[in-house]
Amino acid sequence: MLFRSVLLLAGLASSAVAVADNHTTLTVYTQPSFAAEWGPGPAIKQAFETQCDCTLHYVALESGGDILQRLRLEGASTNADVVLGLDTGTMETARQTGLLAPHEISLDNLDLPIDWTDPLFVPYDYGYFAFVYDTQKLPNPPTSLEALINAPDDLKIIIEDPRTSTPGLGLLLWMRAVYGDKAGEKWQKLSHKILATTKSWSDGYFSLFMNGEAPMILSYSTSPAYHMAVDKTDRYQAARFDEGHYLQVEVAALVKSSEHKDLARDFLKFILTPGFQQHIPLKNVMYPATDLGDDLPAVFDRLIDPGKTLFIDPAVVAQNRKAWLNQWLNAMIQ
Amino acid sequence: MAAFPATTNRAPLSRPFWHTLPGLLVAGGLIALTLAGLGALIWQARQPDVSELWNSPYLRNVIAFTLRQAVISTAISLALGILVALALLRQSAFPGRKALLRVMELSLVLPTIVAVSGLVACYGREGTVTQWIGHWLSYEWNLYGINGIVLAHVFFNAPLAGRILLQSLESVPAPRRRVASQLGLRGWWHWRAVDWPAIRPVLPGAGALVFTLCFTSFAIIMTLGGGPGATTLEVAIYQALRFEFDFGQAAMLAVVQLIICGLLWAFMARGDFSANLSPQRSFAGAIPRPDCGVIHRITDRLLLLAFSVFLLLPLIAILARGLPSLSEVVFGDGNALQQLLTASLRSFSIALPAGALSVAAALAILGLGTVRIPAVKKLSNLTPAIPLMVPPIVLGTGLFLLLRPGLGDISQGLALVALINGLMALPFTLQLLKEPFNGLDRASLNLADQLGVLGWYRWRWLHWPRMRAPLSLAMAYGTGLSLGDFGVIALFGSPAEPTLPVLLYQQMGSYRVELAAATALWLIASLGLVFIGFNALGRSKAPSGAQQLSLERLAEMRHA
Repeated sequence: MLFRSVLLLAGLASSAVAVADNHTTLTVYTQPSFAAEWGPGPAIKQAFETQCDCTLHYVALESGGDILQRLRLEGASTNADVVLGLDTGTMETARQTGLLAPHEISLDNLDLPIDWTDPLFVPYDYGYFAFVYDTQKLPNPPTSLEALINAPDDLKIIIEDPRTSTPGLGLLLWMRAVYGDKAGEKWQKLSHKILATTKSWSDGYFSLFMNGEAPMILSYSTSPAYHMAVDKTDRYQAARFDEGHYLQVEVAALVKSSEHKDLARDFLKFILTPGFQQHIPLKNVMYPATDLGDDLPAVFDRLIDPGKTLFIDPAVVAQNRKAWLNQWLNAMIQ
Repeated sequence: MAAFPATTNRAPLSRPFWHTLPGLLVAGGLIALTLAGLGALIWQARQPDVSELWNSPYLRNVIAFTLRQAVISTAISLALGILVALALLRQSAFPGRKALLRVMELSLVLPTIVAVSGLVACYGREGTVTQWIGHWLSYEWNLYGINGIVLAHVFFNAPLAGRILLQSLESVPAPRRRVASQLGLRGWWHWRAVDWPAIRPVLPGAGALVFTLCFTSFAIIMTLGGGPGATTLEVAIYQALRFEFDFGQAAMLAVVQLIICGLLWAFMARGDFSANLSPQRSFAGAIPRPDCGVIHRITDRLLLLAFSVFLLLPLIAILARGLPSLSEVVFGDGNALQQLLTASLRSFSIALPAGALSVAAALAILGLGTVRIPAVKKLSNLTPAIPLMVPPIVLGTGLFLLLRPGLGDISQGLALVALINGLMALPFTLQLLKEPFNGLDRASLNLADQLGVLGWYRWRWLHWPRMRAPLSLAMAYGTGLSLGDFGVIALFGSPAEPTLPVLLYQQMGSYRVELAAATALWLIASLGLVFIGFNALGRSKAPSGAQQLSLERLAEMRHA
């Protein structure tokens, strides 16, 4: 009885939404930031639906890791046709599940800082990890990773934990790419400047950085674009580091058990068209995966030039991640 | 007497299985859920390497740290909770006492990320309090590290402990209070004879509850812990599941957590403290406590004042941060307001049933507790704590596997969220209802048995008058916890139809910091409304009517 009234009430709450079911539905597993009302999801859904005679249905899972986990749990019985929101950190694990199928589409018009010929994964955007700083509190930020590591200990920074967060893992790889086996010692030196190592980007950004707890936080080089374009403030900028910046590419892939493979491939093709890409810069706050030309918002010209692109092959990362994490832990706990 | 049922007819709901069946269903459901979650992980996994537990210095450190911070946090929370509860009991005329109680209730259900943001604004490096301390005491307070972890845990849990303890202190039978008053018991003697016996039955449960909350704490530990040295088992489980995809290790660590917390609960529940021998059905008015002297008056009020400041400062910080943008939202173009209102409606349509469900489940479990079979009794003591001891992602996985084939459209998903939220709130509602329910004295129960006041009538005439206020409070906690929930809704909800917390996280995740602050404030206001509303509901219409009076008189006479 109680349960029935629960059903009733919940039904009332969502009765405003009718699900059109008269034609094919393409199910896309993705991340909340993509599917949210102000994310790129809704506009992309609308654009794709006008050309496909289908319904695009987003299922948002908490993170790229969750998408992968859900896929593994469901195996071949999954409802997903496409997964969108994995990245260079999780794609190797995804590849190993054997649950994904080749995309078989042309990647010619990709405009990435690295060569990309992967048969499974279609990039939809990319970004560089960078430290974002508050210009009012820190007029002269460090200009290199080395300078940050050697800065006086009263410069405090906020980072995310590489065990639970994508940017966190990004910094781990960044340090690895710059310092190789010496990364451990450098981490030890850096550790005195770390105010907090938060679970997620949001915890750090909302609870600490925006409360003025530390003048620098590990984020993306594109973050200031949002503040400049939407918040209309130049207060938060990314610090350019001489060693170069570590690259993250976000990808989509076709699920092997999909019953609508043709439609799914159409969607993957659509990813590399302006209809999809134009929503990326300000709604996902990342660089588009193709050249948008003049359609790239002007604020993107004011972002830092990352210089050298640092990138470790995802297969190498997958092999070494656990060992590198342990080295990091040892360095930090000492 | 007319309202009493004739003894020859069976009262509704008086068959024995009404005591056991609902409770067994709830308990069985919880156990099935846990086993499904753990089973799914193990079934998917490689054989976990159990020796890693004692061979890996990392895991050893994690377990040691988890225990250490939980013990410290629990000890301080309980001690402060007892002091505050006693002060509140003695100072019934403390101005703002009611408001303080509402704030105490509110603090537990605040979404972690919001509360942490408030705490940081007060006690962080740039925090107002930190600067006062630095200026007036020239002491350099550092939030990050064990300090911050304990501070945040005390912020969440001391009010909870205080609230539970106050409730049992208030239910001290009037005759006992009267005797203590007549004897002029003071200080230690009053504590020994009146307060401690009232607190003792709930203290183990409250302690276990707070300990489990601190033991499984996650985001607080990571945000305020300062570095990976501060890692709890829950973090390690999350890491194993989300990043390593090492399901075996995740399951193993979840079992370790379950064992440690489970042992504690079993230990706490070993003695049956609940038997209350003194008659307590008198609803007599205030009996002056002999220790309401001037010194207590001053110290109590100072303590309460300090405690109020401790709880209010972070809330004020949240208010200050959110108010400007909330007023923009309210007086703005209406789009953002519309979104906020829709999300609120959705949140409440999940939270109210969830609250009702958790109260119903708690009553079912309490009914199970009246069965005189030790194993069943134990079951009723231990299973409700399961939702706290098993990491939500493990429970979520279990649920997902159990229910996925039947999961259809979104409304079923939301109903499921209400169901799980209700179960997650069970440990709290149960703590609040346990004493009022079990505290009925043997003499009354025997009398009721003789008169055939069973089933529905027993509930209506014996329990309801005593439980009206606790039930409302439990309902408020159940609703509030669900209203602030993010974990479960993230699993089964839909991002296109966000609840308030989901909206909050979406805004935070996409740089909409100002909007997020507004949503946080709105959420807190809604939570406050829930507690104010339900408390008012629990108070209004004090047990009245001739029937009620006759019952009381009947009871009093027998003991006169």
